[in-house]
Amino acid sequence: MDNNLLLEVKNLSVHFSAEDGTVKAVQNVSFIIERGKTFALVGESGCGKSTTALAILQLVSVPTGPRGLLRKPAAGVSGSILLDGQDLTKLSGKKLRDIRGNKIALVFQEPMTSLNPVYTVGNQIAEAVKLHQRKSTRQVRRSQIPREMARPTWADAIDTLRKVSIADPEQIAKMYPHQLSGGMQQRVMIAMAVSCKPDLLIADEPTTALDVTIQAQILDLLEQLQRQTGMSILLITHDLGVVAERADNIAVMYASRIVEMADSWQLFAEPFHPYTQGLLRSLPRLGVSAPARDGQAHKRLPTIPGTVPEPLHFPTGCKFHPRCPIGHKDRRCRTVEPELREVQPGRYVACWYAPGYEKR
Amino acid sequence: MNNQQNKTEMAPKGISLWQDGLRKPARRTSLWVGGLHRRKLAMASFVIIVVYFLLAGLIYVGEIFNWQWAAVKWSEQIGKQYQPPSAQHIFGTDIFGQSVFRKTLYGAKISLTVALCASFVSIAIGVPLGALAGYFRGIIDDIIVWIYSTLSSIPYILLILAFAVVLRDRTLFGHKLTGITSVYLAIGLTSWVGLCRLIRGEVIKHKERQYVLAARSYGCSNSRIIFRHLLPNVFHLVIIDFSIRFVAFIHAEVILSFLGLGEANRPSWGAMINDARIEMSRGVWWQMAAATLAIFFISLALNIFGDALRDCLDPKLRIQ
Repeated sequence: MDNNLLLEVKNLSVHFSAEDGTVKAVQNVSFIIERGKTFALVGESGCGKSTTALAILQLVSVPTGPRGLLRKPAAGVSGSILLDGQDLTKLSGKKLRDIRGNKIALVFQEPMTSLNPVYTVGNQIAEAVKLHQRKSTRQVRRSQIPREMARPTWADAIDTLRKVSIADPEQIAKMYPHQLSGGMQQRVMIAMAVSCKPDLLIADEPTTALDVTIQAQILDLLEQLQRQTGMSILLITHDLGVVAERADNIAVMYASRIVEMADSWQLFAEPFHPYTQGLLRSLPRLGVSAPARDGQAHKRLPTIPGTVPEPLHFPTGCKFHPRCPIGHKDRRCRTVEPELREVQPGRYVACWYAPGYEKR
Repeated sequence: MNNQQNKTEMAPKGISLWQDGLRKPARRTSLWVGGLHRRKLAMASFVIIVVYFLLAGLIYVGEIFNWQWAAVKWSEQIGKQYQPPSAQHIFGTDIFGQSVFRKTLYGAKISLTVALCASFVSIAIGVPLGALAGYFRGIIDDIIVWIYSTLSSIPYILLILAFAVVLRDRTLFGHKLTGITSVYLAIGLTSWVGLCRLIRGEVIKHKERQYVLAARSYGCSNSRIIFRHLLPNVFHLVIIDFSIRFVAFIHAEVILSFLGLGEANRPSWGAMINDARIEMSRGVWWQMAAATLAIFFISLALNIFGDALRDCLDPKLRIQ
């Protein structure tokens, strides 16, 4: 087995049952994340990126009773999620909680609402550490190491805050979340996430709620932490500019499916799927005027026509066909949905017209 | 409005309005007591409440150590019966020639004990049930809601009377329920519904917040989320509800005593009003007046204080 493989998601699907029908939030999503690499999941709002992240940690279904006794799943999750060969979908309760935060940590989009308003940030980081170190304290006691050295304390929280380059961590640790700025709060969230040295950090749009200048700082911080600890990052974003330099692999999601997945360099150099092409074309570039369209030279930024389909009423066939420059006329695109296929080694795409798609 | 504008202008540069609202520059603890000491009326109420509690506490201690001071010696006959208020007897005397003033003081002990214990009983039932119902929803929620809807559909006085009658002189865990114990148990067991509803609603609101999801994402168990993350966020409601409910409990004790289900051997305000009922027709008004005044002051103080507490503790009202 490949030793570099950290996380393997196989055929992950998430369905929510709503009043008007079933919302298929994620369908047949498969990808792998290697150790120490950054994997980016890109897509528009509502395409299932965040749901995928929550599903990895088994957080989509809300428990309705203690110990699963009266659990009524609000969402159907199928597929498998293998972390180091261990299937997270088969775990329950205690074992799952040991993974959460310890092996896989999550950083949320809005730091202001993700911190508990009634505790100081130091307290919250210490709690995250404490939750996962209790067991090791017991082991340490058996091995006769002085307890003070093993017990997670306030000092750990301050250390972690220092690690995420917060100046004056002793003072900041004593503050409440509302006393910090958005950027600081996000650093605290990251500190909480990395406090237990996870193998995988899932960053769910970590910079969306922040100023542009802070965004770069936060992303640099993530990169720096990755270099120090060798963790993998699953970066979820709708901003292609964010992932361009930082991700090793990119998967583009559209309407609950991955439509293209490739090495970051390849994807930017030569996108195969019309959706990816459209996304890249609509990125504003400094100093480059927009290409001419319809024979006229005009300065408007090209856009992808139409809107994202509603999850309750996905179009038949390829979900992108109503907005696709090739597919909106094609009968096959309208009726048969292309699956994700490997068209070149390490390159996956789900489009009938992608080069090499039908040969394999 | 004018006042507020003045304040804005007076606020030193660099300190936000919000911090100004908390009075102290952002420090810990200012979240909790911030601003309360600025309200004179609230502080006066607080002093009154403290005096009542001190009195009740002193009577307890006095009874244990057998101190011979006025309130403890309420049963002593100090003059003829039905003496009107005078310099010697502030509130006059009752049918047995006992001082009404001393009885009023002693009544504070009974009333506050009942109200306090009933509050604890109702918080101990209402808060956990509300939190469980709000957090887990589903069938647990259905059961709890069903229980409290049933309870609250029975008229309050009837319910509390029924409980008091049933509990009276029973033995519970080898402990005989004397008058006062059955009274506060009856009040506590019937009055947790409002608090339970309040906590349930608030927990439903809070559990959708992202910090709860964040807590789950780093491995918190359900009980940890409820008790460490959700309850502290809704606990200001418990404090406020306590201060308001407390008055209602004092009144409930009065009602029960008035109906003859309270403490029979010792004077409480309710028992005094019950006695005074017949005396009134003979022009003996002072026993009624003394008990009513005692209730009046503590009720008013608790209400004002509860209001001020809400203004300070509720984060929605704090930012003005």
